[in-house]
Amino acid sequence: MNTLTARGTTASDTTAEVLLDVHALSKRFGDRTVLRELSMRVHAGEVVAFLGANGSGKSTTLRAVNGLIEADAGDITIAGVNLNEASPQRRAEARRTAATVFQKIHLVGRRTALQNVCAGGFSRLPTWRSIPPLFGRELREEAMACLDRVGLADRAHDRAGSLSGGQQQRVAIARALCQRPRIILADEPVSALDPRAADDVMALLHTLAVEEGLGVAAVLHQPELAQRYAHRIIGLRDGALTFDAPTGEVTPEQIQALYR
Amino acid sequence: MSAHGTQSPRTPVTDTPTRRRTSVRTLPVPPDSRAPWRAGSWTAIIAILVILHLFAFEATDFRPDALVTGARGMANFLAEAIPPDFSPKVITAGISGALTTLWIGLLGTTISIPFALLLAVLGARTTSPNTVVYQIARAILSFFRAVPDIVFALIFVTAVGLGPFAGVLALICHNTGVMGKLWSEAMEDVDPGPEQALRTAGANRFQIVANATVPSVLPQLTGLLLYRFDVNVRSSLVLGLVGAGGIGLLINKSIKTFQFDTMLTYLIIVLVLIIVVDLASAWIRKKLA
Repeated sequence: MNTLTARGTTASDTTAEVLLDVHALSKRFGDRTVLRELSMRVHAGEVVAFLGANGSGKSTTLRAVNGLIEADAGDITIAGVNLNEASPQRRAEARRTAATVFQKIHLVGRRTALQNVCAGGFSRLPTWRSIPPLFGRELREEAMACLDRVGLADRAHDRAGSLSGGQQQRVAIARALCQRPRIILADEPVSALDPRAADDVMALLHTLAVEEGLGVAAVLHQPELAQRYAHRIIGLRDGALTFDAPTGEVTPEQIQALYR
Repeated sequence: MSAHGTQSPRTPVTDTPTRRRTSVRTLPVPPDSRAPWRAGSWTAIIAILVILHLFAFEATDFRPDALVTGARGMANFLAEAIPPDFSPKVITAGISGALTTLWIGLLGTTISIPFALLLAVLGARTTSPNTVVYQIARAILSFFRAVPDIVFALIFVTAVGLGPFAGVLALICHNTGVMGKLWSEAMEDVDPGPEQALRTAGANRFQIVANATVPSVLPQLTGLLLYRFDVNVRSSLVLGLVGAGGIGLLINKSIKTFQFDTMLTYLIIVLVLIIVVDLASAWIRKKLA
């Protein structure tokens, strides 16, 4: 079903460019510590899966990277830009190179798939072009290519709300691609999908990493999917790292310990 | 089965072949410690409501007996009104007046769309750029909502003279306040997910509003718009009574000249207009849902 060429090569290529470098990241919500000096890296061309129980800090890490929350301490470096040291404008630019895919997909159901994908390119568009008829041919054709990349070119003019869950998540990935990212942050991208659609979406993320050199950081709740599609697995427990190893070296005991 | 509804559940049922079980397991219901408190609070609420109504009856001179003693006056009034005057002249004037009323309601609704949309976006917590703008937009909306359309009509009649234009201006003002408030609430209630997704993709505020907020709430906004159109047509009728044109003005005239049969014809035309507008807006809202 899937042609995952790189699945056999277990260890990720540590000589590849580091696209995301999180160093000693800490975050508290009130008196609850959700991240304790967490450090991790995502390289170009690899899928990194985050595993851990609810509340272990997986999603918080991604949200600190894409800017939905601000961390209390620690450094985040995206494609060589340290967010703490960069100017606000550089910081925003760096964050744009990390595109987010959400568990709840977050497409605008009443807009077409193509119009939703175009939204990924808004940061390159002048404000006066903000309504669909003015998006322009350039953006529309780039969005079309992104839709084709996820295998949904034939559904371009269908309302996003009329697509199946798996198709919607692929449109959301196309929207992320239209952002011209170097990294995709996927926050439980398949939790709302049936097993078949979940497989398709994870296979797509894997292919994008291997073939286009994107870095993919995916929070997952299904260890089997992580073992099948990730090059590396990071285990989190109570906001701290418990292991960070190539998929082939992670033992079932290590994974079970995360949820105990 | 239903024939045994009054039987104690423990009573063994022997005479019905349909009931196989000979005994039903039961469990005594534990006493509800909050029951007296609940009963007490209901008594208090009802007592307060009764007292409020006594005050209201007193303040409004609410005397049903006056209706009975005044029944003769009403009978005279109705006798003069019936049969309604169905002469072509009256009907033509009535229909033309009713159409004016409809146009006042239509323009009062549609021309307020841009103002209501702008104030709704600025006055919705989720889309407002900051608290200062939010509070100002809310204050403007509250002002337009608080001043009744009939007061706006009286103000505009002194400015642009008697006639439908004053009515349109009055409705634009009041409707901007009401519709802006309703729209801003619809925008606050929308799922924030798509807005969040666009924000992380680097979209600016205007792009987020134009491509996530507005398309998501469009059915609600349209439904509220049709509802307001419905209300505004009825309001423009009342505005006619104070000189803002339309069939309301004709009704006022016919009352002042004691032509109650003409007035009844106008009322029947109004009834038809209101029913048509109501049915049309209900039909469109159903299609949108």
